Amino acid sequence: MSALGGKAAGGEGINPTGSVVGIVILLVSIAATYALGFSIVPLIGIIIGGALIGFGVHFVPVGGAPAAMGQAPGIATGVAMLAAGAGLAGLFGGAWAYEATGDFAVAVAGGAVGGGLMMAITCLMVNATYVFAMGIPAASGKIAKDPITGDTFPEYKSQGTEGHGLPFISFFGGVVGGFIAGLGGTLIYIELLDVYHAGLPAIMQANPEAIEPLAVSLAGIFAIGFFLVNAVLAAYNITGTIEGPHDPKFKRVPRAVIGCAVASAFCGLISMLIVLNTGM
Amino acid sequence: MEEIVLGIGITALAGAFATVAGAAEDTESDIGSQGDPNSQVQLAPQMGYIHRIFNKAISGEPPAYGAWCAIGAGVAWALMQINYNPALAIILGSVIAVFVQGIYCTSGYLGRIASLAKFQQPVYIDIIKSLLSVTMAHAFVAIFCTVAMCYLMASALHHPFALPLLGLVWGIALGAAGSATGNPFYGKERQYQNQKYGAGVPISASGNIVRYAEAGQRSSLDNGWFTTKFAGPASGICFGLIVFLELWRTVLFEKMMGGWGAIIMGVVLILVFTFIDRWVEVWGRKTYGPYTTEEASS
Amino acid sequence: MTAKMEASAGAISENTLMIYGIVVALVGTYLTYLNVVTGMAVFSFFGGIGAIAAIWWGSDTIKHLCSYGLGTGVPSAGMVAFGAGAIAMIAGTKFGMASPIVTLILAAIIGAVIGYIANNVINMNIPVMIFSLMKLSIVGALTMLGFAAMCTGTFMFNGLVIGGMTLSMEPAGEAAAGGAQTFMVTVLPEFAGSLIGGSALAVIFFLGAMALQHPFNACLGPNESQDRTLMLAIEVGFLSMFVVAVMSYAFLDMMAATVGLIISLIGWFYSYKQYIALSKRDAYAWLDAKPIIEVGGHE
Repeated sequence: MSALGGKAAGGEGINPTGSVVGIVILLVSIAATYALGFSIVPLIGIIIGGALIGFGVHFVPVGGAPAAMGQAPGIATGVAMLAAGAGLAGLFGGAWAYEATGDFAVAVAGGAVGGGLMMAITCLMVNATYVFAMGIPAASGKIAKDPITGDTFPEYKSQGTEGHGLPFISFFGGVVGGFIAGLGGTLIYIELLDVYHAGLPAIMQANPEAIEPLAVSLAGIFAIGFFLVNAVLAAYNITGTIEGPHDPKFKRVPRAVIGCAVASAFCGLISMLIVLNTGM
Repeated sequence: MEEIVLGIGITALAGAFATVAGAAEDTESDIGSQGDPNSQVQLAPQMGYIHRIFNKAISGEPPAYGAWCAIGAGVAWALMQINYNPALAIILGSVIAVFVQGIYCTSGYLGRIASLAKFQQPVYIDIIKSLLSVTMAHAFVAIFCTVAMCYLMASALHHPFALPLLGLVWGIALGAAGSATGNPFYGKERQYQNQKYGAGVPISASGNIVRYAEAGQRSSLDNGWFTTKFAGPASGICFGLIVFLELWRTVLFEKMMGGWGAIIMGVVLILVFTFIDRWVEVWGRKTYGPYTTEEASS
Repeated sequence: MTAKMEASAGAISENTLMIYGIVVALVGTYLTYLNVVTGMAVFSFFGGIGAIAAIWWGSDTIKHLCSYGLGTGVPSAGMVAFGAGAIAMIAGTKFGMASPIVTLILAAIIGAVIGYIANNVINMNIPVMIFSLMKLSIVGALTMLGFAAMCTGTFMFNGLVIGGMTLSMEPAGEAAAGGAQTFMVTVLPEFAGSLIGGSALAVIFFLGAMALQHPFNACLGPNESQDRTLMLAIEVGFLSMFVVAVMSYAFLDMMAATVGLIISLIGWFYSYKQYIALSKRDAYAWLDAKPIIEVGGHE
């Protein structure tokens, strides 16, 4: 994201104890939600949304500082915030579609397409910059052959670098990543919005139309909070940079999916406490 | 019908605002040296290359612009709550956001350079004096355009989000688009102008940034002069396209097929951009050919 | 080929900072309750002071966490802190007078869970991870609560979500011939103009996140010194407080908001001057319009 790379302490593989404890936290959160008298369906939606964000971030090709020098392939910015940019652009579209149509499927699909469109345009402009302004053809450093198009990379790679630009597999990863992240973010937003729509009028003693802006704003701020937590956790998992779905680091994705699901479950439980009638 | 015509007009205006904002944002970040290319400005003194480039260490561009645009939009929203005229409120909000941005710039430069004392990098205080007003002016354009665009979305297109939340969302997207498009051009093409054209910077050359200009010593203003020729406009096109197409597909096709029209249009647009990207990629490989070393080609 | 991060050993230990940070943040937030006691809103600015104390402490915590090298830079730690803090803070305000304490506890639990996930599920294996993310979540939550209290004059949920009251008049019955029309007047709360309902909390979210990560991110390097970093934390804290003070004109009366504005400007000006003086002290040289000094690179 900024000037710092730093070495990562994390190793490969799944930590069994940690994962089991994580899943226990997840189940306890679901049980607590049920015990407090909420429907657990929204929480399940939030968990799926969080896991999707963690999953989607792994697709986004981000090269960090080396990419800005043409030393490594990918987009030259921070992974968490690039994913946030795409996911929130998707959230913008999804929230708008939900307001206009009220249809769950349309809104979620709208969020996904919004995120994918944002990444498609961004990735295209990255490639245009590399090719037309810097005269550098795209080449991956991690693999020799593009799994989709079959292009070979080693002969295009500049000496002393790990590759540069966005090969087609990375472009594809970017679009899919934006798509999934937008979908996850919108899913969280809609689930929270429904919870607040149902719960807020009762505890605030107000009619549903008056409460509308409050429910939207609460769900929106929470969705951004969830998004940042999940995106940063996923970014920690890939230690900052990844080339896309073909990168060996992509194999770490199960850890992030478990981690983001657990974090979303617990944060989802807390965010539902708002509509709990505490009597205060 | 009239509503759709108004919607298209607003969409076009928002797209225009976004284009200007993207161009100004990238130029600002290149003059100030923000984001990933700044790692080289930070690294250079450690490798023994003392320089006179602005070292603006304020996180990456997406969170930074998310914050500035949120401040601009939030203050504008607050002023509109006490019945300020929207135009005046947006301008005042942007002014306050730019004030905050300027103070962050100075503290970032002073902090990083003072912490490099071990490598004998002095603080050149005239850099702040001469460049701060330039970056703040560009940031003002970027923030004002983004907040104005968000105001259009909230008031004319009736997006459910309140103005501050829109400012935050689009500020992050602005920073993401601007840094993705603009960073390689500034980082590779300008900072390492002494390296070979058409190839990545070898890792062994890291830190050896260009510090002298055609005449005299390179200032960050020269970087802005260079990057406005490509990176700025390209970032503008990138962010402008994102905003315009996102609004366009919703405004025009929302009503079709119970909302699915906008989604189908979005998928079509993604496919179109995928084909263009594939063409650009293949064109680059075909035109430039495989990488050859200096000896082999000469 | 990346810049190395080193944390300076400071004169003030991290635990001392933590105690001061938590106590001042809580006391500052509670002092805004004087608004209710006295019926004036001029005590709101205490919330801002509390938030600055939390940022001041957090900037030191983030330094210790990031010296381990997270792979994604300093700002991401600030983002995760405020993402978790926002969730804890909004939920915490539901608990009336106990809100600041409940917020603190909720934030600590969320931070511990996220820290555990980062450390054990994602396998980062950083010894201070769980405790650091716990502390950073508390910082995020208390900063947002403090600034929210300063902006609206209260730290309770109803005050944060109700922007004002509108009068609704409905005809109460058929006007009698020749008689006056009677109306039933009901008072309706209005939500769109409130801190949370208008999403102005999102501004505080990012103001705080930037202020938390900036001091160490801006000062890192081999010659980083604790007093300079902490002074910068106070400086960006007052700068954020200034923005919050401007926004508070929408919620507080003229005098209360102006008091906050003046205090934040005075505090900012003083700490900014101090920070420049400390930078001058630490810098290798302080030159005005002088050429590059060549020390001989690897040429």
